Amino acid sequence: MGTPPAHASGAATIQQKLPDKKVSPFLKQGLTRWFAGIICAATLVPASCSRPDASPAFVAIEHDISPQPFRVGSATIILKLSDASGKPVTGAHIAIETDMSHAGMSPGFAEAKEAEVGRYKAQLNFQMAGDWVILLQVTLPDGKKLERQIDVRGVRPD
Amino acid sequence: MRVPGLGHLFRWRYARPLLQTPLLALSVVMILHGLFGPTLAPKNLATTLSWLHFRGMLVLVLLCAGNFFCLACPFMLVRQWTRRVFAPRFNWPRALRNKWLSVALFVLILFTYELFDLWSSPWWTAWLIVAYFLSVLVVDGFFKHASFCKFVCPIGQFNFVASTLSPFEVKVREQDVCTRCHTKDCIRGRREPVTDLVTIRGCELALFQPSKVGNMDCTFCLDCVHACPHDNIGILSRLPASELTVDPIRSGIGYFSRRKDLAALAIVFTFGALLNAFGMVSPVYAVDRWLGRVLHVSHEAPVLGVIFTSFLIVEPVLLLGLAAWLTRAWVGGDRSGGMWTSGQRGLLPLAVRYTYGLVPLGFGMWLAHYCFHFLTGLYTLIPVTQNAIASLGRPLLGEPRWTLTGLPASVVQVIEIGFLVLGFFGSLAVIYGLAEDDSPDKPLRAFLPWAAVCLILWFASMWLIFQPMEMRATMMSG
Repeated sequence: MGTPPAHASGAATIQQKLPDKKVSPFLKQGLTRWFAGIICAATLVPASCSRPDASPAFVAIEHDISPQPFRVGSATIILKLSDASGKPVTGAHIAIETDMSHAGMSPGFAEAKEAEVGRYKAQLNFQMAGDWVILLQVTLPDGKKLERQIDVRGVRPD
Repeated sequence: MRVPGLGHLFRWRYARPLLQTPLLALSVVMILHGLFGPTLAPKNLATTLSWLHFRGMLVLVLLCAGNFFCLACPFMLVRQWTRRVFAPRFNWPRALRNKWLSVALFVLILFTYELFDLWSSPWWTAWLIVAYFLSVLVVDGFFKHASFCKFVCPIGQFNFVASTLSPFEVKVREQDVCTRCHTKDCIRGRREPVTDLVTIRGCELALFQPSKVGNMDCTFCLDCVHACPHDNIGILSRLPASELTVDPIRSGIGYFSRRKDLAALAIVFTFGALLNAFGMVSPVYAVDRWLGRVLHVSHEAPVLGVIFTSFLIVEPVLLLGLAAWLTRAWVGGDRSGGMWTSGQRGLLPLAVRYTYGLVPLGFGMWLAHYCFHFLTGLYTLIPVTQNAIASLGRPLLGEPRWTLTGLPASVVQVIEIGFLVLGFFGSLAVIYGLAEDDSPDKPLRAFLPWAAVCLILWFASMWLIFQPMEMRATMMSG
């Protein structure tokens, strides 16, 4: 089934690892846990089955990508970071990686610079038409790290 | 088989398990990485290996050598182990001893590939491999011989059709030796003299070597090679596509011209090649959106259903029907000098006969499409492997070098055009051979309608490879 259109901008409320939208979460988790259970039981490696650490501190990330509609070529992304009380987060380091949804494509890398208080800007390059994924690796001033994923659907040919 | 080293290897009884074992290990790695590794396809071994490297190498090996991927099939290794414990008891149902089921599965695979965007999902790709292993175990666990390979496996059917164009074939060296042979071990298997138990299998796909013609249904398993007591069977060179220009009775198959199921497989192979490539270019999304509006649906499945029906049923029926009608009309009463029998005068038998001529064209499109992905992403396996190993905690191969990709698209496009041209002329050669048989005096009359079909398909293929690629997992949106 087709997934809904991408949000051109908005708050990134995405978890660290997005589940595949096309797969029923129940089905995916059930099957994966079942398979993981077999693997764990067979290999007796409990460490590989451990739960992830507690979720990181809350930081809202809003994003805006231009120009729109998305086209092959360079694009600008603006990221606005704010904490739980809505205060801008300054002094963060944001590494950006852009990937296509298809195997065989090399990722692009960029770094967002703080243009204004709590607003970070970076140049991206969509090398091919199609669906893209933007991965953000945010290092907060206190050293905590966050990861976010932004889906950019339907970049059109130039 | 007489090549030093290689010949010795292939004559060795355990050559097949030796080739299967690494691929089985690779399959397990792909499953685990697909389920537990990165969720992004470009960073996962399951998607990178399946949709880039396996497919690309498969078609290249088929083009340059033969059906060696079936020889090294890891599914069959697991099957062999299982059969040591659970011996199958049933024969494959008579009603299913044809290609209809596998044709349907072939179409289903193409359909699910588009519907679930398998190429972009490591998770689905991993489960597809698991499902394949389970299917093999279920089918060959219940049914004797190589039922899965011959009647079920969609990849196998693809390989069978494509290998009709391969330069190598498993066949007898000297027919006289077979004529004098009384044991027929190549089909019966080699047996213990006292207990009569089979020690080396004969052909499980019912291909009796002395009357086997071509590569259709041959998995290159080498059972016949090992079973032959006279060392009279080998992997021998031949003219690619030569088996498509003749229509003798073939062991385990019968006449090509009477096999509607095989012709349907050839149609899916040929038109499916264009359909599969069409799914990755920009115009398909405009068609999707338009169809969605016309049908008042937002779900992708019915839209894909219409596209698949158009490509795999409507288009072939129109093109092949018209060509068959023109052939019959133009050759008309001139059949006295030809090879036609009364049964071949109908449109359907004519279409069945000439459909095989389109196979080279279809293979050219598969080559162009798969090699595009393979060659433009050739080196991506290196950083993906580096990343997979690094994620285990020890970057034994160093940090991932994500800048490694592959050949430039402009170079690969020239190669793509070469494959399409090769396929086009291959199809023309096969069709001319058939036309000469049908109408020795005026072969052009039988040739031209089918050449026109080839030309239309070739132009469609060329148009496709010049379209901008649009690698999307969402068809209906945007």
